[in-house]
Amino acid sequence: MLRVRDLSLRYPTGKVALTDFSLSVEPGELVVVLGGNGSGKTTLLRCITRTLKPTAGGIWLGDTNLCGLEGEKLRRARLELAMVWQSASLVRRSSVLTNVASGALGRHSTLRTVFAGLPPAELASARGHLAEVGLADLAEQRAGTLSGGQAQRVAIARALAQRPRVLLADEPVASLDPEAAEEIMRLLQRLARSERLAVLCVLHQVELAYAYADRVIGIRGGRIAFDLPRSQVSREEVHRLYIHEAA
Amino acid sequence: MSLDLAGPGMKAAVGAGAWRRALTTAIHCLLALLAIAIVVQTLIVVEARPQDLITGVHGMADIIRRAIPPDFSKLPAAFWPTLQTVDIALFGTMVGIIIAIPLALLAATNMTPSRYAYYAARAIIGFTRAVPDLVWALFFVTAVGLGPFPGGLALGVHSVGMLGRLFAETIEQMDMAPINALELTGARRIQVFVHGIIPGILPSLLGISLYRLDENIRSSLVLGFVGAGGIGFQLLTAMNLFQYQEVSLLLIIIFVIVIAAERVSAALRARLA
Repeated sequence: MLRVRDLSLRYPTGKVALTDFSLSVEPGELVVVLGGNGSGKTTLLRCITRTLKPTAGGIWLGDTNLCGLEGEKLRRARLELAMVWQSASLVRRSSVLTNVASGALGRHSTLRTVFAGLPPAELASARGHLAEVGLADLAEQRAGTLSGGQAQRVAIARALAQRPRVLLADEPVASLDPEAAEEIMRLLQRLARSERLAVLCVLHQVELAYAYADRVIGIRGGRIAFDLPRSQVSREEVHRLYIHEAA
Repeated sequence: MSLDLAGPGMKAAVGAGAWRRALTTAIHCLLALLAIAIVVQTLIVVEARPQDLITGVHGMADIIRRAIPPDFSKLPAAFWPTLQTVDIALFGTMVGIIIAIPLALLAATNMTPSRYAYYAARAIIGFTRAVPDLVWALFFVTAVGLGPFPGGLALGVHSVGMLGRLFAETIEQMDMAPINALELTGARRIQVFVHGIIPGILPSLLGISLYRLDENIRSSLVLGFVGAGGIGFQLLTAMNLFQYQEVSLLLIIIFVIVIAAERVSAALRARLA
């Protein structure tokens, strides 16, 4: 579903962030990316969403190469690609339901959405997405009143409202307590299976990667260190990702 | 040995310390003298003569005696000017908000399309605030003639100074994370603005506007004095005609308006928070 081929990024300052990076994520698969600080994990995600423009390589979403697109075409192609961050990034004064439904705005350009309205059909399906993440009861609450774990689940529901085929997650559990973190990872795993989503998740918690990933990709210095099914990833190999970083 | 070496150095340090203390004392004396000089010159410049106040006290008592009781029969006649005063303030605040919002978007570092637009918007905002509302009123009187309309315009333009600056600050401090998130869902610019930016900043903008409305009601009273109509003009006329009982009635009305505006504005702002 998501294929990255020979992706490279060199900043205008000359610093090389990614070199010949290739990976693929299939529908129904949860792939975890591990790596030390500054290894290029976040840069990779930012390239895939085209927030950064890679200097070489291709990013294929199905049959579409995002790297060849600009403006309106890029916006349309990117609808298939949803993302969650470390912070839930919700509009705190709006209701949970409004926040979830706003994920669908990209598919609607009606006058109603310009005057702060949301498509009624999307509000109905937003309730469905909230139920999927187990928060149907909180639909009418203000987003600002939620706990960290709840807010992150709402952010995932908003991503679902976008009806993506690929879900990117940038350290989605970094600011959560261990229990909430496990819950979010279980949710991502379940969504990958039930919605046939291709999930690419950057993590700092090695244990969570071992517990939930189908495949683990290690990054070191902007290059792939390994790309293996979870069962074949050795502790030493993971350990080396962080050792090298310190040296 | 080491004591010998330290000796002259220590003496020098003690000498320097004494000098520094003397210098500080001298500076303090100088500052005190300067403060006294400033106070004395204000007394001379404003021609302060407290004895006049004492000899004039029965004049004041006379005015107050003639102002009591307030002439409540003039109450119906005061209704229209009162409405005019409040409406000048409302109109001015609305004009101010309409002009201030686009200027604030240009004058917020995180929203401005270019540095030139930023500096231009900041300059306009600064200028509207620097020129007093009375001067703006005179300016608009030459354009549209006497009456409440130039008064409302003057308040509107002068309000841009405060509203624009505070709106821009609100926009600069807003949480960008949900805005970036909405952009990435593929929402269009206008949708991001309506669904991501507005809900976050609207309460603050309304609060600032209500505060400005309160200020504008007080300014509107003063503008009446210089010909913008309303209750201020009524007050001036009554004073010139020595109708002190009407004056006292009008002062009561003004007091009620100002307190009411302040209370209502504060109550609404508290609800928004």
